[in-house]
Amino acid sequence: MNNIFTVKDLDLYYGDNHALHSIDMAIEENRVTAFIGPSGCGKSTLLRCFNRMNDLIDGCRIEGNIEFRGKDIIKDKVDTVELRTQVGMVFQRPNPFPMSIYDNVAYGLRCQGVKDKKVLDKVVEESLTKAALWNEVKDRLKSNALRLSGGQQQRLCIARAIALQPDVILMDEPTSALDPIATSKIEELMESLKKDFTIVIVTHSMQQAARISDFTAFFLLGDLIEMNSTKEIFHLPKDKRTEDYITGRFG
Amino acid sequence: MTKRRKISDFMANAMTYFASFISILMLVWIFFYIFSTGMKSFDFKMLTTNYWSTNYKIEFESPDAGSFEKPGSLGDSVAYSVKYGVGFEDVSTKSGTMDLQVVYIASDSPLNSGTNAVAGETLGQSQSIDLGSNVQRITYVNSDGSYASEGNSKGSSAAQLAAALDQSVSIDSMQYQTPGGGVGGSLKATLMLIGMTLLFALPVGIFAAIYLHELAPKNRLTRLIRSSIEMLAGVPSIIFGLMGVAVLFPITAAFGIKSTSILLGSLTLAIMLLPVIIRNTEEALIVVPNGFRDGSLSLGATETQTIFKVVLPSALPGILSAVLLSIGRIIGESAALIFTMGTFIMDKPTLTQNATSLAVQIWSVMSGENPNFGLACAISIIILVIVLILNLTIKLITARLMKKWSA
Repeated sequence: MNNIFTVKDLDLYYGDNHALHSIDMAIEENRVTAFIGPSGCGKSTLLRCFNRMNDLIDGCRIEGNIEFRGKDIIKDKVDTVELRTQVGMVFQRPNPFPMSIYDNVAYGLRCQGVKDKKVLDKVVEESLTKAALWNEVKDRLKSNALRLSGGQQQRLCIARAIALQPDVILMDEPTSALDPIATSKIEELMESLKKDFTIVIVTHSMQQAARISDFTAFFLLGDLIEMNSTKEIFHLPKDKRTEDYITGRFG
Repeated sequence: MTKRRKISDFMANAMTYFASFISILMLVWIFFYIFSTGMKSFDFKMLTTNYWSTNYKIEFESPDAGSFEKPGSLGDSVAYSVKYGVGFEDVSTKSGTMDLQVVYIASDSPLNSGTNAVAGETLGQSQSIDLGSNVQRITYVNSDGSYASEGNSKGSSAAQLAAALDQSVSIDSMQYQTPGGGVGGSLKATLMLIGMTLLFALPVGIFAAIYLHELAPKNRLTRLIRSSIEMLAGVPSIIFGLMGVAVLFPITAAFGIKSTSILLGSLTLAIMLLPVIIRNTEEALIVVPNGFRDGSLSLGATETQTIFKVVLPSALPGILSAVLLSIGRIIGESAALIFTMGTFIMDKPTLTQNATSLAVQIWSVMSGENPNFGLACAISIIILVIVLILNLTIKLITARLMKKWSA
């Protein structure tokens, strides 16, 4: 199996706060990798390193390196705009733009200068179909995206991300703001998406990690405690702290 | 102890009630005064008519008398000439004199076919008489061919004039004075001022706000700039007026504008309003959810694309209320404009000449030897109504914005 991301000795500081301590890990291609751990353990922070979204936070400093397909992406001269088209992201709260459904999905391509209506039409339909939203919205592509339900909005955000045909989709607790039905739809969607994309998901729900992921990484207070196949982590955790966490003794 | 507490509570409550009563009383008082004084002089026609009254003389080519019936709508106080279809009335003016006003002209009256007889550009062109004009003198032809005249300048009353006209054969000429007292010129100047000011201030203000909120590094320099802008918002407007005369006047003078002008006024106001626009736009940008920015950047949009495609459109309602707020400030501003636009009321304002805005016209009509309270209050009503409408619109926009984001 190919490793799409290789993290080597990564340290991250928010000002004086040492948020990640020398992380080493590898993310396999076309697999779902879940990051679990209690709040504030650094799992979202690490996720945001993969597409350099931490750049937006003042006082954030990264040491060490992350290789994406063998290329270091922590160096300053990396084109973050280019990187983010290859590494898409879905956020905790659905954040469709206040424009039409069509414009939301076409946004990324339009930013890259694609103007051809036929190309956009095709990509919008494909992306919405892949995100299992096409049948629900095909008659109202021109209506405002904010009128969709929360679950639909989140699937629209996924469609928006896959419209750019990225290699990786990062998901930062994508279902924590959704009800159980919408959550199960998103989980089904992830199952079908992993054929085409590598998915890295941060989740608070251990059941979710167990259900959908192939690999699981457990974080605690900025340290990567244990990473293994999901089966191993949940049945034979090597570390005492992992066992305590997944059995619900803390967290 | 309880008794003492009761007394102190009572005192505190009484104070709050008294204070709010006083403030509401003052407000009601001001409104009552302005509306009661202004409504007598207010007339929708004043929005388009001139401030200065003009003397005209018109002549008639075919002044054939006809027969027109007096319309029922005219009261008994109106003296009516059946032959010419025109009604006159004696009206006492604010300065204490009596005017002989034209209050009605039938649509097919021969008086509508006059031509201007005063030397000037409009000599020989047809001219219709404004209602409310003060008749100075009408020269008419008697049945024996002799000429005679009646009018305000001869001390005739409305009844005398109408009677004299009804026994005449034809009218030769008429001298009259237009009513004046309108705000058409100032209203036009105000609109020009608003347009030009926003043209200068909006782009600069909006881009400055974008820089400060979206692009500037969050360091001491940015904080310094921001607090300087806040300070600028507290500077009295008369100081901006001085600055306009001292600093901006040479700039407009370089373009060949010899006097204070609407252009100079709008440049001055643009600088005065920059802090308002920057602060309000910044507040509108703060309200835009960070999720929009993150979402856009995560889709491979550049920072600039994010600002112009997502953030700015979302902040548009807030920016719009900044615009409306600015319009309110422009309409209400007087001190800075007295220096930079002058105080002479122009009926036909142009960008490169001095003129008065509505607020400055109030100053002008009040600062003369006999202040015209009625007209001042009538203009106040116009300003108050415009400001009220602007404020309501801002409230409406803000409410809609809140509803949109909270969904």
